[in-house]
Amino acid sequence: MSTYVRQFYPGTSQSSINRRKYLDPKTKYEKLRSVSDEDLVRVLGHRKPGEAYKTVHPPLEEMKEPEDPIRKIVEPTPGTKAGDRIRFVQFTDSVYFSPMAPYVRTWAMYSRYRGLDPGVLSGRNPIEGRERDIEKVAKELVETEVFDPARTALRGYTVHGHALRLDENGLMFDAVRRYTFNKAKGVVEYVKDQLGVPLDKPVEIGVPLPENELKKRTVQFRIDHIKFVDDKPLLNYIHRNFELRCRSGFNPEGVKGI
Amino acid sequence: MAEPRYIKALRKKFKESPEERYTTFYTLGGWAQDPRKREFKEISDKIAKQRNIPMYNPTFGCGGVGLGQRTYMPYLISGTETYGMPEDIHVVNNAAMHQLWDDIRRTVIVGLDAAHTILSKRLGKEVTPETINHYLEVLNHALPGGATIQEHMAEIHPALTEDCYCKVFTGDDELADRIDKRFLIDINKLFPKDQAEKLKKAIGKKTYQALRMPTIVGHLMDGGTMARWAAMQISMAMIPSYKLMAGEAAVGEFAFAAKHAELIEMGTLTPWRRARGPNEPGGLPFGYLADMIQYNRVHPEDPCKYALEALACGAVIYDQYWFGSYMSGGVGFTQYASCVYTDDILDDYVYWGLDYVKKKFGGLAKVKPSMDVIKDVATAITDYSLSSYEKYPANMETHFGGSQRAAVAAAASGIGGSLATGVAQAGMGCWYLSQLIHKEWMGRLGFYGYDAQDHAGPCNLWSWRSDEGLPIELRGVNYPNYAMNVGHTSAYTGIVAAAHAARGDAWCVNPLIKVAFADPSLKFDWTYPRECFAKGVLREYMPAGRRDVIVPPR
Repeated sequence: MSTYVRQFYPGTSQSSINRRKYLDPKTKYEKLRSVSDEDLVRVLGHRKPGEAYKTVHPPLEEMKEPEDPIRKIVEPTPGTKAGDRIRFVQFTDSVYFSPMAPYVRTWAMYSRYRGLDPGVLSGRNPIEGRERDIEKVAKELVETEVFDPARTALRGYTVHGHALRLDENGLMFDAVRRYTFNKAKGVVEYVKDQLGVPLDKPVEIGVPLPENELKKRTVQFRIDHIKFVDDKPLLNYIHRNFELRCRSGFNPEGVKGI
Repeated sequence: MAEPRYIKALRKKFKESPEERYTTFYTLGGWAQDPRKREFKEISDKIAKQRNIPMYNPTFGCGGVGLGQRTYMPYLISGTETYGMPEDIHVVNNAAMHQLWDDIRRTVIVGLDAAHTILSKRLGKEVTPETINHYLEVLNHALPGGATIQEHMAEIHPALTEDCYCKVFTGDDELADRIDKRFLIDINKLFPKDQAEKLKKAIGKKTYQALRMPTIVGHLMDGGTMARWAAMQISMAMIPSYKLMAGEAAVGEFAFAAKHAELIEMGTLTPWRRARGPNEPGGLPFGYLADMIQYNRVHPEDPCKYALEALACGAVIYDQYWFGSYMSGGVGFTQYASCVYTDDILDDYVYWGLDYVKKKFGGLAKVKPSMDVIKDVATAITDYSLSSYEKYPANMETHFGGSQRAAVAAAASGIGGSLATGVAQAGMGCWYLSQLIHKEWMGRLGFYGYDAQDHAGPCNLWSWRSDEGLPIELRGVNYPNYAMNVGHTSAYTGIVAAAHAARGDAWCVNPLIKVAFADPSLKFDWTYPRECFAKGVLREYMPAGRRDVIVPPR
C-alpha cells in the first residue's frame, strides 16, 4: 500500500500555487505588518483590552465530564479549556485582488487550525470559535500576507462591498465606514470596531499593498490577471469532479478506477 | 464586436464609464437618493403620526449610519425600456406581480367528460353543444357567486369578481366549432398551425373547463379553496342546466369529478413542514410554469426570449413569493431574484450562448446530450458571463452579491445546454457545472457557498427513480434538494422552457396548461410578462381583486 500524500489544490497557475501554499500548514504565512494585541481586541469589539474573558462554563479541569474516548483523543483548544464564550471574526474580500477569497480562507481554517467554525458566503467569511482562539487566529490572519488593509476588511454586519468599485484611495466600500485612509501616514485606520461601534482612538491596520504585490499574492483569478480557463489542470479537475458526481451519485459501483 | 446588451443600462445606472474601477462613495445623499424611499418616508411619517406608533425609518440602516452610502441604482426591466427603483419590483409593491401569481392560484382545470358520461349514460340526458353552451352560461353566472336554484340567497357583488369566469377547450374541431365563442379557448386561432395540431392530438376528443375563480378569493382564502369553489359552482350549474333533482346522487358524482377525478390543479399539496395546500407556489412544477408562459406560442422563432420570460416569472413566483415571502417574509429576496430579469444582463449572456450553440453544433437541439457537450457549453458560457463582470466593474457592482452572479451565469449556461441538446436534464447539467467552475474561479459562490444547493446537485441530476430524482420538468421548489434554492428555481423554469422551445415542442409537460393559459381573457398577459412587470413598476398596471365598491372612497 502506497503512503498517502496529502494534496491541497490542483492547478499550475500562480493563483493555484498560492491556494496550495495558503492551505498547506507546513507553509508559514509571511508577516507583513504588526497590530498590537490590544488594538486587535479593540477592532474585534468583543471585550475591552485587558478585560477578562467572559465564560460560559467553568474551566474543563474543574468540570466532571462523562467518560468519552473522544475526549482522550482530541485535546481541547485553550479557549475551550478556559470555558470562553463563542465569538467571531469576519472577513470581507474585495474581488479586486484581495489576497484571500472566502472559500480558500475557509479551507485554510480547516487545514491549519482546530476548534473553529468557518462559513463561506460571497461577501463575507465568518469564523466562529472560543474567544481567545479567535483572537489568536485573527492576529495571524490580519498581520500576514493573506490580508490587505485596503482590499480585505473586518466586518460584523453590513458587509456589502466585495463586488463594488473601489473608492478614490483604492479602498473597498464599507457602508458603515469602519476604516478610513490616512493620507498623511499612508495607512488604513479603523475608527470603528467590527460592528460599527466607534473606537476611542483610531487603530492603524497597515499600509495597503501595491497592486503588483497583490497580484503576486492573491488566490483570485481574473481576466485582467490570470484567466481561470487557462489553468487547464484546474479546469480538468473540475470537469472530472462534475462527471464523477453525475455518474456515481446514486450509482457508486458504476464508476471504476477512480 | 457589438456592445453587450447591458451596457445601456449600466450607463444609466452610474455616472462613470462601465469600465471604470474607481468611484466615490458616502457623499451621494444617503437614502434620499432613492425617490421611492423619500415617498415611503413621507407617507410613513404621516401614518406614524396618525396611529402614534413609529414606522418606516431608513436612517436605521447600516448600523445607524443610514442607508445609501453607495450609488442607489435604478433597474431596467429586461426586454423593455422601463426603469424603476428596487422597491418597484418587490412583489408587494408591484401590482402586475400580484396578478401573475393570482392568475395561477385562481385557476383549475376540470374535465367535462365524466359529467357528460353521467348525464348521458346514467340519467339518459342528452348532451349537445347547445346544452354545453347553456351550462356554460349558467356556470358563468354561478362561478362569480350567483345563486342558481335557491331563492333569497346572498350573492356576491359582480364588481368584486369581475375576473371570474369559465371557458372550455377541446381537441375536437367539430365540437369547438359549435361552442359559443365567448366560452371557447380556440386552439386553432391562438396557436401556430403545427403547435395547434400537436395540442389537439394530445387533447383528443376530450373537453376541459378552464375555471378562473375571483382574485379576491385567493386573497381571502387560499389556493386550496379553488377546486372546492369550482366544484361547488359546477354542481350548482349542472342542476338547472340539465334539470336535475337537487341533491340526487349524480350531483355528488359531479362534485367528485370536479374535486378529484377530472381535476388538474396548478400546484400539488406540500407536506406538513411547508404547510401549504394545493395551488400554492410550493407545489407548482417548473414544467407547469414554463407551459403557462405563452411567448413561444406567439413567437416560436425566439426560444431565448421564451426562456427569459419564463425565467422572469420563475423569479417572481419561486424566489420572491415562495422563498422570499411564504417561507421567510419582510424585506424578502427581491434583488436576489430580480437579477435574472433586470438590466438585460442575463439576456446578453443567453443570446451569446445561442450564437455559440448555433456555431458549434449547427443549430438548436442538434446534438445528443453527453458529458462532453455539457462540459463544452457550460465552460464557454460561464467563461463569457464571469468575464463580463470582470471586464465591466459597473456590471459587477450591479450584481453585487455572489448569489446574483451565480444565478445569472449558471442560468445562461443551463439555457445554453438546453438549446444545444433540447433536453432540460442536460441543461441542468450545464447549470451545475457552471456553479462548480464559478466557485473555483472566484473562490466564492452564493449564500453559504451553495454547498447544499449546487455541490450535491449533480449527484441527483440523472436519476428519475423515486426518492432519488425527477425529470426537471416535474421538479419544483418542494423537491428535497431545492427546498432552500433561492435564486435557482427561476432558472430551472427557463432551462425547461429553452429545451422544449429548441425542439419546437408545443408544450413542455402538460398540453392542457399550455392551452388554458393561452386564454386572452386572463388578467395577466402571459405572452409578455416582463412588459407587465414594467407596467407595475410605472404603477400603470390595473390588477383584479379590487375592493373599492365596498369601501369608502379614499
